[in-house]
Amino acid sequence: MKFIRRVIFAASVAGIIAGILRVRGKGGVPPQQGGWREVTPKQ
Amino acid sequence: MARGHSKTVTYAVVGSGVVGTRVVQHLTSLGLAPALYSHKQRTELLSKSVVVLACARPHAQLATMLIDEGVSVVSVSDNVSDIMDLLALHDRAVAHNARLVPGAACVPGMSGLLVSHVAKAFDVMDEVHVAVHGTGGPSCAREHHDSLSGRAFGWHDGEWIERPSGSGRELCWFPDPIDAKDCYRYASAEPMLLQRIAPSLQRITARVSATRRDRLTAHLPMLSPPHAEGGVGGLRVEARGSRNGVRHNEIVGMAEKVASVAAAVAAHTALRVGDCAPGVHVLGEATLPNADILTAVLASGLTLHQFVGHE
Repeated sequence: MKFIRRVIFAASVAGIIAGILRVRGKGGVPPQQGGWREVTPKQ
Repeated sequence: MARGHSKTVTYAVVGSGVVGTRVVQHLTSLGLAPALYSHKQRTELLSKSVVVLACARPHAQLATMLIDEGVSVVSVSDNVSDIMDLLALHDRAVAHNARLVPGAACVPGMSGLLVSHVAKAFDVMDEVHVAVHGTGGPSCAREHHDSLSGRAFGWHDGEWIERPSGSGRELCWFPDPIDAKDCYRYASAEPMLLQRIAPSLQRITARVSATRRDRLTAHLPMLSPPHAEGGVGGLRVEARGSRNGVRHNEIVGMAEKVASVAAAVAAHTALRVGDCAPGVHVLGEATLPNADILTAVLASGLTLHQFVGHE
């Protein structure tokens, strides 16, 4: 019983941490090559 | 009664929010004297030549009343139902010698002008993908919130597809300082208007940037009141097609306050609405002087960017 409780506790903590990271994590963006340049309508 | 579009053209703006006041500023800077009204002052509007509806939606009922008196109307409403109701007023506008331009804002509006602009770079343009980031005033923010619930339309290989709003995540790059934002399908009339502008298009999508919180709370009432105006927003138009037998891409974008873009588009559309025949016209359609409107909008201080490179 004690073992089961420990497993549940560990899984809960892991789930809470994963949830926090998912909600608050900033992640990253894939790189792009190139960039933006200003244009006029005639270009 | 016909309203002549000559030296005696008079303008009115309905709505004193961020977009309405900026439309007035644009027209005033050009030496015109537009009157600013609330949507309740309907009688005063009937004596005007052109009315810009920059008040909270819906606009269809007020537009109908104005068109019946021969008053031309430019509407900044971006609500799907409202735009569809406005599009249905074509015969009425023709009968009363009035012009109506619905969706004369940022998206739709500026996006249509940009599609018309980039179309010149193709022999055949077959895809257009529009993404927008940010909101204008409080009405725009509420529309953004509402549009993430419900159904989103897209044009795919010659038929309309319907998907849940908030689905279809795609990372879209906007000009600096906005950079990359996760964008999702949303309830917008943009695909219908673009399909009207360019019937040869095979695929049309419209996406809006949204946070996780936006998507999770889309089905709830707005939990906090919207800001008076959003920050710097972004617009991205990606067109694909062929040029000289080779597949070609054009990506143009803007990083400006959404309300500023909407106001500039609405103001310069109002100035040129008399150049077209009576009826309903959509920005980007060949019946409007799109190049002139785009040039004037950019000359008012907004900047257009083109993406050069690979994503």
